[in-house]
Amino acid sequence: MDNSLKTVALRKSFGKSLLYTLPMFLITFMFITGGKPNFSDPASGLAMLTVFLLVNVLYFSMHFTGKTDKYRAILFIIFAMSLSYTLIHNMLQVRQSMSFSQADILECKIPFCHLVIPMMILPAAFTKSIIFPGSIIGGFANISSMVVLWVIATIVLGRGFCSWGCFYGGWDDGFSRLRKRRVIKNISELWKWMPFAVLIMVMLSAALTLMPTYCSWICPFKAVTEFEKVTSVESATKAGIFLSLFGGLVIALPVMTKKRTQCSFLCPLGAINSLSNKITPFTVKIDKNSCNECFKCVEVCPLFAITREDVKKGNVSLFCSKCGKCVDACSRKAIHYGIKGIPAGTMKNFSRNLFLFVSFLFMAIFSSGSIISTFQGLFKLIF
Amino acid sequence: MTESLILGLSSGSACLATCGMVMFPYLMAGSAGVKKIAVDLTLFLLTRFIVYFILATLAWYFGRTIFSNPFIRNIVPGILYIVFAVLLVWYSISKSRKPDCPAKIVKTVNNRRLIPILLGLVNSLGFCPALFIILTQGATQRTLFQSYLAFLAFFIGSSLWFLPLPLAGKIQKKEVLKNIGILATGLAGIIFMIKGLTNIIGGIING
Repeated sequence: MDNSLKTVALRKSFGKSLLYTLPMFLITFMFITGGKPNFSDPASGLAMLTVFLLVNVLYFSMHFTGKTDKYRAILFIIFAMSLSYTLIHNMLQVRQSMSFSQADILECKIPFCHLVIPMMILPAAFTKSIIFPGSIIGGFANISSMVVLWVIATIVLGRGFCSWGCFYGGWDDGFSRLRKRRVIKNISELWKWMPFAVLIMVMLSAALTLMPTYCSWICPFKAVTEFEKVTSVESATKAGIFLSLFGGLVIALPVMTKKRTQCSFLCPLGAINSLSNKITPFTVKIDKNSCNECFKCVEVCPLFAITREDVKKGNVSLFCSKCGKCVDACSRKAIHYGIKGIPAGTMKNFSRNLFLFVSFLFMAIFSSGSIISTFQGLFKLIF
Repeated sequence: MTESLILGLSSGSACLATCGMVMFPYLMAGSAGVKKIAVDLTLFLLTRFIVYFILATLAWYFGRTIFSNPFIRNIVPGILYIVFAVLLVWYSISKSRKPDCPAKIVKTVNNRRLIPILLGLVNSLGFCPALFIILTQGATQRTLFQSYLAFLAFFIGSSLWFLPLPLAGKIQKKEVLKNIGILATGLAGIIFMIKGLTNIIGGIING
């Protein structure tokens, strides 16, 4: 291995970083303010300004420091927490409770989230109906807007959706960063196939029962959104399951393993997103000429997407969510954002700039609404 | 019925992973083209169907006799579900699990015509945790017809995996499919563990 090889510097000068941030600045300004900043409500105006500054400072920092994951994670975690806050706040206003009743199901008042998508596919194909009791168009968190957003994001980002768009991923991402060192180190490679097993099970069970079985029985994020009112042994069992999964896969295991265990071992949408990595133009590449096989990337990857064998072959597996943790960890910048068709080791800066612009813009636009709403609530509480 | 189909689909993959390579040479050996393979496979599946039909009848009959008391009808199957489900989960995740298929008994048979029938018999009676679960399922059904439906769903789910057996040599990434199948079997075990727990709690609450 040639150790004298020059590594590509990803960090930019202050002026250049500012220049790269300018398009983000203008687009986020348009999206956040609608082109007309309104400060008639001080809390709302201040929340908008704060989010606008936060988003742009983070994007600027990515260019200025050359680090990706650190700044991505800040917005990603705030997004997850604020989405839960917004959703719970909305539930409490509409129905005075985080739990929903059978009447809410019958009236199709359940907010939709992207995790339902895998269960909708087969029933939609066979019965031409949507098995989720939510609003198709209009209302809070409707089905059509979420599906369209997910489809666009998945085609462009592939499994990148899991690190740049998913409003649940921030929970286990956040908990996985709490400890400096891992308590549990050896985890079998076999487990990373679990989301595919879950995907098959929930798709089949949803098709056979015409019920969103993952939402009803498994989804751990009911703990931070909404859940079925406990009125029977069955609903109590469901509550026990989602609380255990949230405690285990979203809190305890990420803390002990420093990995995103819910995303790696359970999420069925993650399995579909992994497959979509095959069609997306963006990827993470390993430049074998620069790589000294230190395997730091294997160690830090939160989704078990890189193995030692992958590094030796110069490939990253389809589990990659393009979070940038490995890119930041690599001292030789041998692992880098890339574009399919462009050989590894070339156009590293161009690929990173393009990917960051697309993915960060998506996250900024997607998350700004709920973060503004959360900040607004906070400011009203403080002042 | 849904649970039985899911159990069949998930455990069928693990069953194929364990027994597929033992059965494959015998079902295909000496065969003259697709027609012969189809006949052998039909005989194999038909034998399994008949065995399950008999087992469904027996399970329901014994279930009706043993679980006559409503309290026992919830508690005992609940415990059985949990025990067999734990075995199924252990079977799917255990590192010491050896791919030992009871179908290897056919090595001792000389009559080639009997082989698909014998394989069907051994495969359906190879008492694995999944079969114990479906026996419990059949035993707790209210009517014989429901017991047949439960076994039929299990039969369909597990048989689907055997249909592409003639193409087994052409399937790539077998290891990945096997891993997913084994994990799905474990998940099916968890589903029945929860069912067992719900049965027991429901039985206690309802007296």
